[in-house]
Amino acid sequence: MSQAILEMKNISKVFETEELETHALKGISFSVNKGDYVSISGPSGCGKSTLLSIMGLLDVSTGGEYLIEGINVTDLTLDQAAEVRNAKIGFIFQSFNLIDELSVFDNVALPLRYHSDKPSNQVIKERVTACLEKVALSHRISHKPNQLSGGQQQRVAIARALVAEPAVLLVDEPTGNLDSKSGDLVMEVLEKLNESGTTICMVTHDPRYADMAKTKIQLLDGTILQAPKAKLAG
Amino acid sequence: MNSFFYQTLYQVKQAYLSLQQKPGFVFSVVTTLGITLGALLCVLTLAYVMLIKPLPYPDQDRLYRVEHQLISNENKVDGRAFTYPNLMHLYKNQTTFSESVLSYFDAAVLTSSTDEPMVTISFVTPQWFDIFATKMALGRPFESSEQVNTYNPVAILSYQTWQAEFAGKDNILDEKIKFSGKSYRVIGVTAQQNIELPLAGPGYKTQIYVPWDFNPTSDKQRLAWGNDYSGLSFIGKIKPELAATFSATQMNQTLTNLVNDNWQNQVASEEFFKGWGIRLEVSTLKSFIVADGEKSVYLLILGALGLVLIACTNIANLFVSRTAERQQQLAIRAAVGASKAQLFRTIMAEIGIIMLLSIVVAQIFTFIGFSILTYYLGDFLPRIDELNLNSFSVIASIGLLVLLTFFFSHLCRKMINYRSLNSTLQSSGKGSGIQVSKKVRNILISSQIAIATSLVFINIVLYKDANALVEQPLGYETENIMAVVLSLANIERDSRAQKLTELKLKLNNVPKIIDVSQGMRPSIFSTTALTDDATTKRYTASGKDVDERYFEMINQVIIEGDNFSAADIKDDNRVAIINDVFAQLVSPNGSAIGMKFNNGLRVIGVVKSIHIPGREYVAARFYMPASLARNMLLIKLKPGQELSRTELITSLKEVSPSLSLFSFSSLTDYKNERLFAPMTTAITTVVLAILTLFLSGLGLYGILSYSSQMRRFEIGTRLAIGAKGKDIVTLVFRDNSGAMVSGIIISLLVLLGLYLGFRDSLIEYVSIELIPLYMMTLALITLISLFACYMPLRQYINKPAIHSLRGSD
Repeated sequence: MSQAILEMKNISKVFETEELETHALKGISFSVNKGDYVSISGPSGCGKSTLLSIMGLLDVSTGGEYLIEGINVTDLTLDQAAEVRNAKIGFIFQSFNLIDELSVFDNVALPLRYHSDKPSNQVIKERVTACLEKVALSHRISHKPNQLSGGQQQRVAIARALVAEPAVLLVDEPTGNLDSKSGDLVMEVLEKLNESGTTICMVTHDPRYADMAKTKIQLLDGTILQAPKAKLAG
Repeated sequence: MNSFFYQTLYQVKQAYLSLQQKPGFVFSVVTTLGITLGALLCVLTLAYVMLIKPLPYPDQDRLYRVEHQLISNENKVDGRAFTYPNLMHLYKNQTTFSESVLSYFDAAVLTSSTDEPMVTISFVTPQWFDIFATKMALGRPFESSEQVNTYNPVAILSYQTWQAEFAGKDNILDEKIKFSGKSYRVIGVTAQQNIELPLAGPGYKTQIYVPWDFNPTSDKQRLAWGNDYSGLSFIGKIKPELAATFSATQMNQTLTNLVNDNWQNQVASEEFFKGWGIRLEVSTLKSFIVADGEKSVYLLILGALGLVLIACTNIANLFVSRTAERQQQLAIRAAVGASKAQLFRTIMAEIGIIMLLSIVVAQIFTFIGFSILTYYLGDFLPRIDELNLNSFSVIASIGLLVLLTFFFSHLCRKMINYRSLNSTLQSSGKGSGIQVSKKVRNILISSQIAIATSLVFINIVLYKDANALVEQPLGYETENIMAVVLSLANIERDSRAQKLTELKLKLNNVPKIIDVSQGMRPSIFSTTALTDDATTKRYTASGKDVDERYFEMINQVIIEGDNFSAADIKDDNRVAIINDVFAQLVSPNGSAIGMKFNNGLRVIGVVKSIHIPGREYVAARFYMPASLARNMLLIKLKPGQELSRTELITSLKEVSPSLSLFSFSSLTDYKNERLFAPMTTAITTVVLAILTLFLSGLGLYGILSYSSQMRRFEIGTRLAIGAKGKDIVTLVFRDNSGAMVSGIIISLLVLLGLYLGFRDSLIEYVSIELIPLYMMTLALITLISLFACYMPLRQYINKPAIHSLRGSD
């Protein structure tokens, strides 16, 4: 039986203003198993980015229950959520979100600097180097982000997401800011990572890339349109 | 040219319309700048009037005041006032000045008026009216008929006295006025527009001019070569042919030789003056008048400048935000073809309008500042009544207008990346065509901290100093004690003691009066030389005469020996009471009781020293029995009781119609008057320090808030990958610490520079105690800086990370 890494039970999210109440997510339930490659797609405003934010503990749900590796993380404090994010989740953003003032090495090492284990500099160096090798950028270790192309920057972001050895990679429109060639290269890296056992959950509106996932979730108006159809790894 | 004019006019009109939409922004900038620039313009004008503006007299740069110094055999300056014979010798024999004037400033009761007001009297030689170009409203000035030794009893009234005391009556000329027992015929009234410099100290205005011959120096004093009198003054106008070639040193030497050589001959027979000498020193009249006021002006400029700098930093923040807000508008202008220079002019038009408004508002505050300075500091700073909006303040205003307009416009222009601005519209407004660089942000932080630290520290030091003077225990009582000075000029010398004894008895019978003592205010002393009979060692001490009731009345403690007895007073015994400072000086290891000075003046008691209000230093002092004819009284009232001037005059007239009241004031009022300057300094420094902290706190918050805004996505990203709130706070503290430390180092350099530049003036403030004070200031500023760092971060670290990340894509 596959081990569920993420479990969402009847998750809802309501945005409220003085005059308006918007139901972004309406009772979403699904789970992501270890080694899964899940794509979440749907039209603009359907709630996919909101769902990914809640999955990544960047935002909190209004209702429902959320478990990571069997532990309920629905009502964590901000600091507890930060610890879980650091240890269990790796993020890849559409606009890379690299810190311009830091070198590639320091950008990748950043999650380890916030790690509760406080790894030594030697460990940090080894792990950063290994991650950069995985994305074929070890030769750019001392460069600043603005000295890299968009595709290279996104690969640095992937290395940063991997460095703390998270349980799952949450990927938000990874090719949104890239040309098709760079986009394909990034998708190739993600595919290889999944093949080597990394669990990936990706938001995309590109059907080509959605099809590359083993499990596809389609959202419409805050609800799952198409029930997840498990594709077991291997 | 025409097209440039119309384009500028168009831009100004557009800027005006644009600013109409932002009343809050305009109000904030105009108010902040208006108040601080008003303060700066006010003190700059004061500095101009006091330090730069020529004196309002012909050939003012040729006017000198001569100071007479008595030099002891230990080569120390023993006194800085003229002896009467030396002054007259100088006046009659000098050849350095083409004109010279003698003056003596005093006050007297105008007994010819029914209400017997006290008036200020200046005894002057006729040259006064020529040197100071005094215009006359009526009659004539003093002439050769009032030259020295003519003894012509005439008087000239000031315009204000003519109006106030004589209701401006037309036939005032030839009318008689009387004071100090002598009548004078009025021969003139000075014109209203005359400007009289405060030669006798700030706030002094002559009400009546009388020929020099009638100055109150006694016949005995006029022949005393060894006694100096502080009322005597000599001012000369250097000969035109010497003005260019004669240095101050040469002048000093010439005048010293003239006076000292003669003086040495005159005192050659006196053993006491063996090894002593006279030195004359000249100073320009202008520098003499400014005197210590220069230090106050520099401190005021420093304070106002600091406030303006802090205000400018804050306003820089506002303009930065305003420019960022106008990004879209500027981008559209760029897209339709506006060049960089045109964008600059667009920005400058808006800033120019705001600066113009600020300067106009500043003029109002400058005017208010003049009134405040005149009201509160008129008695402390010279020439303050010449303050007005003059050509200097107009030029300074225009200068500030141009400078600030260019400074803020340049700052805003530096924010604009013209290339990025062009692409702003293409990237749906998410571009960053307008940003303040990290370098500029750090400069703003450093400068805020440097200015705030320096200003707050200076204010704390000044406050500490001033407050120590205010809080200093005086060592005597002032509550319910009135000081009275009587005019005895109309009473025969022989009957004065009897009349005063009668008066004391009469006053002692008034139910609200507890006690009456014959003696002057506790804080008034005159300097005298004393020689120890046993060792012949000479001392200079401050002395005064008091009766047997004095020490008990003011509660000054006798710590050793006895008080004066009634017999000591009656018989005028040669006994003295000295203070503990003098006792320690003359007898460091034993008792001073029984010591004798000046051929038999025997010490019978030692009193605890008192402090003169507003003065830290305690001199060696001695007290001698007062004559029964002494014209000064202290009256102690029962608590809660008051004695009016009229009640007192009634008592005086009951004893003798010839007794006149010269002055009447409470010791508490006098103390408060003396403490006014340190009290004002203490209050001003506290207000300035609080204002500085408030403004710098606001400024730092503004910059750091903008900084945090700029780093919003970075903060969001860090939170997303696992940073906790405290990690973000630590990161921001660490990132800003460089700018903060730079600010602290700059403040240290500024303070060091100030110390090196004004060492002579500042040395009295420097002590080891400044280190903890500086540390305290640093702690305060650091706390405010950290608070300003933390506050803007709360919106990011206390909310889910998605709030910071939203919009990053």
